[in-house]
Amino acid sequence: MTTSTTAKGSTPSSAAQGGRAGRRVRMLPPPVTGQEFVLIGVIAALWVILAMATPAFMTAGSIQPLLVAAAPVSLIGIGMTLIIITGGIDVSVGAIVMVCAVITAKMMVDSGVPLPVAVVVSIAVGGVLGLVNGVLIAYGRVHAIIITFGTANIFRWVGLQIFGSSTVNGIPTTLDTFGRSAAGRTLGVPHAFLITVLIAAAAWWYLRHTAGGRHFFAIGSDEHAARLAGVRVQRRVMLAYVITGLLVGLAACFVIAQGTSTLDQGVGTGKELAAIAAVVIGGTSIMGGRGSVLGTVLGALLVQTVTSGVTQLGWKSQLSDLFVGVAIIIAVGADLIRERARRRR
Amino acid sequence: MSVPTTREQSEDPGPGPDLNAPLDTSVGAPGDTTRESVPQRIIRALLTQRIVLLAILIVAVVVVMTVLDAGGYLTGPYDSDYLASALINAVPLAMLGLAELFVILSGRGGIDLSVGANVSLSGMIFGYTYGLWGWPVWLAILATVACGAFLGALNGFLIAYVGFPALIATLATYYAYKSVAIVIHDQRSISPKVIQDFFSSARSVEIPLVGGNLPNVPLGIFTFLVPTMLVVWLLLARTTYGRRVYAVGTNDVAARWAAIDVRDARFKAYVISGIISGLVAVVTVGQFASARPDSGVSGNGMALPAITIAVLGGVAITGGIGRVAGIILATLLIVWLNAGILLAFEDNQGSQYQLLALGAVLVFAALLNGVTTRRYGGTK
Repeated sequence: MTTSTTAKGSTPSSAAQGGRAGRRVRMLPPPVTGQEFVLIGVIAALWVILAMATPAFMTAGSIQPLLVAAAPVSLIGIGMTLIIITGGIDVSVGAIVMVCAVITAKMMVDSGVPLPVAVVVSIAVGGVLGLVNGVLIAYGRVHAIIITFGTANIFRWVGLQIFGSSTVNGIPTTLDTFGRSAAGRTLGVPHAFLITVLIAAAAWWYLRHTAGGRHFFAIGSDEHAARLAGVRVQRRVMLAYVITGLLVGLAACFVIAQGTSTLDQGVGTGKELAAIAAVVIGGTSIMGGRGSVLGTVLGALLVQTVTSGVTQLGWKSQLSDLFVGVAIIIAVGADLIRERARRRR
Repeated sequence: MSVPTTREQSEDPGPGPDLNAPLDTSVGAPGDTTRESVPQRIIRALLTQRIVLLAILIVAVVVVMTVLDAGGYLTGPYDSDYLASALINAVPLAMLGLAELFVILSGRGGIDLSVGANVSLSGMIFGYTYGLWGWPVWLAILATVACGAFLGALNGFLIAYVGFPALIATLATYYAYKSVAIVIHDQRSISPKVIQDFFSSARSVEIPLVGGNLPNVPLGIFTFLVPTMLVVWLLLARTTYGRRVYAVGTNDVAARWAAIDVRDARFKAYVISGIISGLVAVVTVGQFASARPDSGVSGNGMALPAITIAVLGGVAITGGIGRVAGIILATLLIVWLNAGILLAFEDNQGSQYQLLALGAVLVFAALLNGVTTRRYGGTK
């Protein structure tokens, strides 16, 4: 306990920024931070390189699927950003995707439930599962990674029980609203991406300009200090997991829409690691107290760019994981170096 | 306040490094607990001494399953032969649990998510050297372990020397190793004749001298698990290096002031984790009779069960607390529980309920750890 608090206490980013601001008293970090500019630059550079290497890349037919594919991971990543800012982590999101996806798909196939109802139910189910995590972590006061490893297994069991047989077949085409096809676009912009951007904007505003949002940063920087300052720490922490659950529920609908008309039991596998990768590439500190939603969305875009780039260049698609790993190392390594320089100043 | 008195006692012997402090405390100090009533003492033993709790749970699982078997509720016999053959699953699980024990002990959020990917990649190296290039088996195993050690060293370098959080560094290398393992042989398994014959390393053998009366035990227990267990136990309990790991994990600032090379101790913990992963790779190739590119990452992967075992075995995720015996007992509990569940349900329902059991046991253990920390100041 003592080691972790002293470690966090020695690197409070807000204090460092306060010191840098000096005469101008500025409470907020700049709207777009250094890491995000770098990410925008890297993504732009990658797109230019890919456009030169494969003429097919810079076409609507290639960019639109990329944006659609990046949407679920961005959406999950937004929730994960909240959680990681509070100093926690959630490795059960992949299992939550599976439960929500199978419930939604079964409802639509078996009972013919209309799309809006199905989406609402999916979001609600996600919220409930997030609540389970949140209650266990906030009130059980156990390290988040352990609890969510456990609940991941339990949720996966729930999902497999609902699956019954190995697949759900004949998913209706109404879900194409969130998919890759023409039905999923308005004026050329994919709906899934549009919704993600709107939610990201709302989350950005919430985290930056409301007291409730700033409380997440306070908890992540120093939980005890936050409690003494009057933050209801347990409720806030629980809220972070519930919000993540809700977002994962929506992301699950996007995931089904991107697949074929068949849903198999592997759905959602690895989404937790992909979301964490997007979050840390986006410059959010895994130690808590620092991070941004914009960075996470950019991180998800970068990962997706690498993934589609590798396939479009005709390389083996599994190689993309290698590049994702390297991207994590570079992004977090750069952040570490900057952090060290900031502390030395 | 009910402070564990044994720890205070063992701090007596002078200024020298106290070699036995957190380890022999499970024995307890007679006479110190006389002020407590018997039920209080039992509750305290259950909560603070994870080994006692695990031993009781193992007995409970075996008894319940045997009763169910006698009542005819199981689809197959749950007898000593079945329990012994189920131990084949304990070999990789316990070994990777020991790997996680080392890295989690080393503190500062220590964790190794890459062990499964390391097993996949090292296994492919074993497939190449032994299966395709025809190296002698000892040299191939050496090369595999060297590969595992190198991959672990990469983690250790990033975490101990560059300062990456362990979760992120091993997440990144998990992706990288997994990708390389799949690409290296073009997504195909390596299973020539020699590798298929290597399946004999996973057979069951009779224990010499007393074997006639006991069921046959998987060979891997003796060739891999027991040696690894002994070496890890010796390292942690009987060497200065082991004491350093506990010191670094408990408080790395204090350890630095005590002239301990914190980075070196932490780096080596990840290298050891890599070495054990390399050994597990050899075990896994034997069990599958083929070097599969996804052997350590398919499905839930190997890392998550290994971390579960470590936590269940009483290892504190904050570092500095954990014992070899806890890992072994936790593995036995999970393996025998899973074996029973497999018999208790028709067709593949059993494997699904194993997920539920693993998750429920982990959440239960974690909540219990929380209670223990608040009431007694931690498990031993």
